[in-house]
Amino acid sequence: MKHTIRRVTSISLTLFAASVFAAEGGGAPGKTVEDLAKPCAACHGADGNSTNAQYPRIAGQYHDYLARALQEYKSGDRKNAIMAGFVNTLSDSDIDKLARYYAEKPSKLDDLAHYEQGD
Amino acid sequence: MTRILLARSMKLALLAASTCIAITATAQDAAKGDAKAGLALVYTCGGCHGVTGYHNAYPNYHVPRIAGQNYEYLIAALTEYKKGERAHPTMRAQGESMSDEDIRNIAAYLSSLGTPGSTK
Repeated sequence: MKHTIRRVTSISLTLFAASVFAAEGGGAPGKTVEDLAKPCAACHGADGNSTNAQYPRIAGQYHDYLARALQEYKSGDRKNAIMAGFVNTLSDSDIDKLARYYAEKPSKLDDLAHYEQGD
Repeated sequence: MTRILLARSMKLALLAASTCIAITATAQDAAKGDAKAGLALVYTCGGCHGVTGYHNAYPNYHVPRIAGQNYEYLIAALTEYKKGERAHPTMRAQGESMSDEDIRNIAAYLSSLGTPGSTK
């Protein structure tokens, strides 16, 4: 009985440690979202409203779309040489934080519902 | 000898510079989308992008906001769908149906929309 308890405890400790590692996923623990966002600013602008038209505005975009895009860059489903280099270092939790950070920022981006569609 | 080399390298530099100007001019000519023509084409986009808060059925995430998005990025994204370089099945089908001119016109219209702070 004692043996079983000890075994169960050791298994659950191992699982706990594994889940902690998985959550970090090679990210940068201790970095604030502002730290994480610094490299983004070079192309997407400090506020996520890129002034260079070849880069998308990310401020005010839906957070789950932004997260999805970053995940696709990470998995290689979406290919972009610049983005691939950046997402490698991001954990799932980093991606979620960054996506929510930019989604909250004021933007020119809007839902198409508010405009005339078709003639 | 040095002078000849210098003259040659200057000629090369001039050639390179004029090529750059020529390429830029061509790119700009091709880049003139017509927002009015784009307005006529975005009727289809509205089915998904024109419904505030609309989600994809699968995978489940919000259909992105595209009003006010940057012109060149919109062209790049639509062209990638057209070429099959981006995976989303619905958008690939849309992209395949568009000419390069359609894409420029749509991008011109969408990038002309949006107001600062409109999503807040």
